[in-house]
Amino acid sequence: MATHTPTAPALEAAPVPSFHLLDYLRRFYANYTVRTIFKALVTIWAVITFTFFLIRLMPGNPVEVYVDFLMNQQNMTYDEAYSRAASQFRFDPDASPVTQYVEYMGHLLQGDLGESITSSGTRVIDQIARFLPWTIFSVGLGLLISFTLGATLGTIMAYKRNTFIDHTLSLISSILSAVPNYIWGLMILIIFGVQLRWFNVGELRGTYSPTMTPGFTLEFLGDVLKHAMLPVLVYVTGSIGGWMLNMRNSTIGTLGEDYVGVARARGLTSSRILLAYVGRNASLPMFTLLAINIGFIIGGSVIIEELFVYKGIGSFLYWSISQRDYTSMQGVFLIITISVVVSNLMADLLYSRLDPRVRVSGEK
Amino acid sequence: MQKKHLALLFLLLCALTFGAVSAQDDGATINIAWPYQLPPDGHFNSYASGVINLGGNNYQDLMEPPFAVYMWSQGVYEPMMAESFGFDDDNNYVITLKDGVTWSDGSPVTSQDVVTSFYTAYLIGASVWNYVDSVEVVDDLTARFVMGAPSPLAEYRILAYQLRPTSVYGTFAERAQPLVEAGAGSGDADFDALLGELTEFRPEQYVAAGPFVMLPENISDANVVLVKNEGGLNADIVKFDRAVVWNGETEAVTPLVSNGELWYATHGFPPATEASFVEAGIDIIRGASYSGPALYVNHSVEPLNRPEVRQALAYAIDREQNGFVSLGESGIANECMCGFSDNLTELWLSEDTLDNLNAYDYDPDMGAEILEGIGFTRGDDGVWVDDQGNRMAFELIFPAEFLDWAAAAENATQQLNDFGFEITARGVQFQQQQQDVYDSNFQLAIRNWGTGSPFPGQSYLEPYNRYNGQGELAGEGIGGGMRFDLNVSYSGGDINVYDVAVQAGEGLDVEAQKVLVEQLAVSYNELLPAIPLWERYGNNPLNREFLDAPASDDPVYNNAGADHFMPYLIMTGGIGPAQ
Amino acid sequence: MTATTYEPTRQRSPHFFDSLFASLGIFGLALRRNRAGMVGFIGLMIYAVWVLIGPYLVPFDDQVRLDQIASPPGSRLVMITRVEDVSRYTSLDDLNGQTVGVLDRSGGETMVEPYEDSGALEVETERFSSGRGVPALLDQLAEGDVDAVVLFSDAAKRYLTPSSSGENDYPGLVVSNAELGRPYILGTDTQGRDILSHIVHGGTTLITTALVAGLMSTLIAVVLGAMAALVGGMVDTIVTAIANLVLTIPSFPLLIVLAALIQLNNPLMLALLIALLSWPVLMRAIRSQVLSLRERDYVEAAFALDLGLRHIILREILPNMMSFVAINFIFAVTRAMYDQVGLIFLGMVPINDYTWGVMLYFGRSRGTLFSPDSASMVLSPVIAIALFQVSMVLFARSLEEMFDPRLRTAK
Repeated sequence: MATHTPTAPALEAAPVPSFHLLDYLRRFYANYTVRTIFKALVTIWAVITFTFFLIRLMPGNPVEVYVDFLMNQQNMTYDEAYSRAASQFRFDPDASPVTQYVEYMGHLLQGDLGESITSSGTRVIDQIARFLPWTIFSVGLGLLISFTLGATLGTIMAYKRNTFIDHTLSLISSILSAVPNYIWGLMILIIFGVQLRWFNVGELRGTYSPTMTPGFTLEFLGDVLKHAMLPVLVYVTGSIGGWMLNMRNSTIGTLGEDYVGVARARGLTSSRILLAYVGRNASLPMFTLLAINIGFIIGGSVIIEELFVYKGIGSFLYWSISQRDYTSMQGVFLIITISVVVSNLMADLLYSRLDPRVRVSGEK
Repeated sequence: MQKKHLALLFLLLCALTFGAVSAQDDGATINIAWPYQLPPDGHFNSYASGVINLGGNNYQDLMEPPFAVYMWSQGVYEPMMAESFGFDDDNNYVITLKDGVTWSDGSPVTSQDVVTSFYTAYLIGASVWNYVDSVEVVDDLTARFVMGAPSPLAEYRILAYQLRPTSVYGTFAERAQPLVEAGAGSGDADFDALLGELTEFRPEQYVAAGPFVMLPENISDANVVLVKNEGGLNADIVKFDRAVVWNGETEAVTPLVSNGELWYATHGFPPATEASFVEAGIDIIRGASYSGPALYVNHSVEPLNRPEVRQALAYAIDREQNGFVSLGESGIANECMCGFSDNLTELWLSEDTLDNLNAYDYDPDMGAEILEGIGFTRGDDGVWVDDQGNRMAFELIFPAEFLDWAAAAENATQQLNDFGFEITARGVQFQQQQQDVYDSNFQLAIRNWGTGSPFPGQSYLEPYNRYNGQGELAGEGIGGGMRFDLNVSYSGGDINVYDVAVQAGEGLDVEAQKVLVEQLAVSYNELLPAIPLWERYGNNPLNREFLDAPASDDPVYNNAGADHFMPYLIMTGGIGPAQ
Repeated sequence: MTATTYEPTRQRSPHFFDSLFASLGIFGLALRRNRAGMVGFIGLMIYAVWVLIGPYLVPFDDQVRLDQIASPPGSRLVMITRVEDVSRYTSLDDLNGQTVGVLDRSGGETMVEPYEDSGALEVETERFSSGRGVPALLDQLAEGDVDAVVLFSDAAKRYLTPSSSGENDYPGLVVSNAELGRPYILGTDTQGRDILSHIVHGGTTLITTALVAGLMSTLIAVVLGAMAALVGGMVDTIVTAIANLVLTIPSFPLLIVLAALIQLNNPLMLALLIALLSWPVLMRAIRSQVLSLRERDYVEAAFALDLGLRHIILREILPNMMSFVAINFIFAVTRAMYDQVGLIFLGMVPINDYTWGVMLYFGRSRGTLFSPDSASMVLSPVIAIALFQVSMVLFARSLEEMFDPRLRTAK
């Protein structure tokens, strides 16, 4: 961050000192940090606004969905189900979306995400606090393992280019990445859980055993790891191939660079070349991809969380989308938006650290 | 570097998994399944959406039993919470509760709880109040319903209602009573305020009168463990001490069934999955559901509004094939084609009527003949063209998430295309598909016929009410649904089918109701407003290695809807641990 | 290898490939230098032939067969007779003049008929309810009313092999010929149709749509990413802002709303939709790398010489990232294939065009993965897609040689 000089060429046309408000704002905006944060805020606002109207455009509404649920599961007639459903939600399908939007933004600015529609009186922030940590933990752990392992193996593949190791690992990684992770999840369950009975499927379900009391005890942490094992395994299986191949090919691009040759000629040790020259440059695009993926951790994985009944934010989001619970949905989307924008911001800042030659855009 | 840590982590993970020993169960346990929402969404207020009730018509009975269960095969009620019940001389309904049952908080079950249950239910629009004027305490155990509109249907609704405790909901009932007397409803400030309080009310825990109770600490992601409620109904008869209810939808519970951790599941399993259960020696229970998928047509689309075309469609689809590819041996072709389940026809239709109903047995030649009879011709590409020159090319929408309906749509599309239609089938998200049908925004659609009620009149409310004009009620402004004209002319005269369907559920004269049901059945059979495909039977895996249950052909498995056989069997000791 | 003299025929194939490669120039050279690339190339050629010619060779099977539902690979018709007749009836010809029981595959009828070469059906038919006809036929066989029964192996298996409880329902019956009719190499689907024919027919649209989508997505990402990094300023701000918007706007609700508003009957529009939603991730990765490359001497030199943006991107920047771009193009193609499966759920892709995606959708929603007998319905399209990706990945090895000449010697 310290490497940037706060200048904005397009706006620096008149460098005459002045105390005009506009000018003051202009100078304020010219500050790199301020500008970056401002841009991020604008993005977040734009997405929230767009999403707000988007989710209300989805066909169906909370009442209709609940009517369907009551009719299917409790065999009510339509009229019966409708009056029940209408009584449950303080949701007015005829209310003007614009009014709702203004109201929502008003609350949001005070840090209030509102109440769930389909569970009256339940605060959205409580729902998020209940489910989000598990997703961050499981998806984050999966990402960490698959990225480190994948990047390491990818570098090895690049170094052993066109050897047996490279070809074998390429084959494995491209098969791993070409099969969607829910198929891996199902196959792991069916082959190891049902056919071979290596584990009890039900016992590994959920985020932790019901007999455990949450707390920072070794026993509890172990139980949490045990329950996260299968989802994490699936996340790693499904994504490691992509990291391996990406790293391999990104590294190959750098291996051909002149400076690597020069470094070799200078007689630097290969480990030094690997770390200081090749790894650093090759991981640039990798870190961008990583940053984007970190942002999406918050979104969770619907299918995997449902399959392993590992109740995180992904399955919660899916539930609230299918129930058309606008406020809950909006809350989760808000968190996702913020995390994606922030992680992108971090990535931008990280480039200049990894590669001092990179000047962040706007200064040339 | 990091790899060392990773390796350690992996070792730790493995050690924990294989080292972990599950706590040994004491007492008999039954493993069942129902998907539920976790707190804070899920809660214990059974008057509000999101309650963790494990199926409002299903395992909720284990905690909040109904007054009586209707035995569908015998047509009689079997008492649960009630000792005796029936209409008195004034046609009011009187229920006397069993003595000696206590709630899980220790208070006895009394007739005041009956009053509480129904007055609180008024706030959430319970349909019982369409028939009942007031509920009164007669003595400690007896309550009387003053009936405005007595009928067998009203009786059924009252008896199926699950009893709630006064200790939890008493104050709501007290405050609701004057509102009932004033006839207040949504829009009245008092009513809305009380309703708001009720839906936001979050009791600390379930207070149950049934043989089981749910404790908040027993709820986890993976399952809910119900424990015995010692003072509850039939607590001494029930053969299990605990019920483990596993969470999850079909795909998630399937491996649990396969490897013997889950012994009975109500989910609908696809045939291939079912085959793997059978291979593993798991029994399949096929109880009737009294409903199934039908091919709905939009009657504002020419020439689908012509009855002949719909009859031809009915002839052109092999319903047995359609049912079998969709749901295996649980997809049974509808035979009467009269708008309700074949399992109810003998009770409600005379033999003559039944014989005269057209079964529309698969006969594409007959279908072609009908079409030719009204001036249709086949174009050069083999696709039918009507007398106005319209090609018979339509779009069929089906709910993409409903597994067996999707298969029915795929197969029906193929059969109709073989017959000379040009159908394009699209899976649509289920919420949208339903809305599209309500809004008349479709040409052909798969939606349900029939409903899980022993009264046929209720089944006709699906096509004539739900899918014919509900868009308007839902505030979507378009309305219309399938746009079928409810004033029909058929061989028996002119009737308004919606009015007749409603009347078929009114009054205490069952014979008069049968006449109305016959009118509905015959007119439906002739006009086919929607074409029933097959009836959906359950394909519930029952693992007899762990469970001792009645044989698969036992009539108890005909119990459907609010009287589902599984909670009934558990509560009456009809099912127990295998020897 | 370079011999120009007469060669024995068995050595002709390398020679043939040599001349083929020679005519392909640098591309051929790259292929010849890289075994893995060669394998990938051959794999892609197989797919091309499969997708282009296969549909003309293998007819699409849309015949519903109730007696052959969800059967494992290799299933075919078998002939069943009583134990004492096992040597008498071994082929269809042996059945001349005898009575045969079969299941009518589409109508769900059991039929008993005198065998005649003409196949004329003068038979007593009995409509069976929901595929329960097999025991009826086997009973007739056991009682001697019929001389042989011709059945699908999977339908017969259940009754003729001892079940898990150790009982054989029909101890007096055996399979006398297990090889009647053609086998279903990949088994049958949940409607009893040949999976192989669906694999052959279901690739064309899916692959072309995915290739177009992947190409568009990669192209957008490369052009915008390079422009944003090289031009900077407002261009960068705007491009990055749009990318961030596309990344963050929740795609599931967006697609639901889009599905309600538009219908994509055109594969090209479908590809465009997928591309428009998928470019930002790669664009950001490329932008970051170009930001770094921009400062290289040769790029700065090119700028100084004012060689133009096009030249700089194509000649100076792209070759350095080619293998990274190539692998991401491949991923984009695979992802586009699976995206099409997701769009089936939203009604954007009708199920009439029976692609691998539709197979996967039905295979999964019909629970076929849970039984080894029927798993082929899900696994066949998945493996087809996976092998396609493997071929592309290996083939990309040759592209490395082509686009990055420095690597050839850098080994």
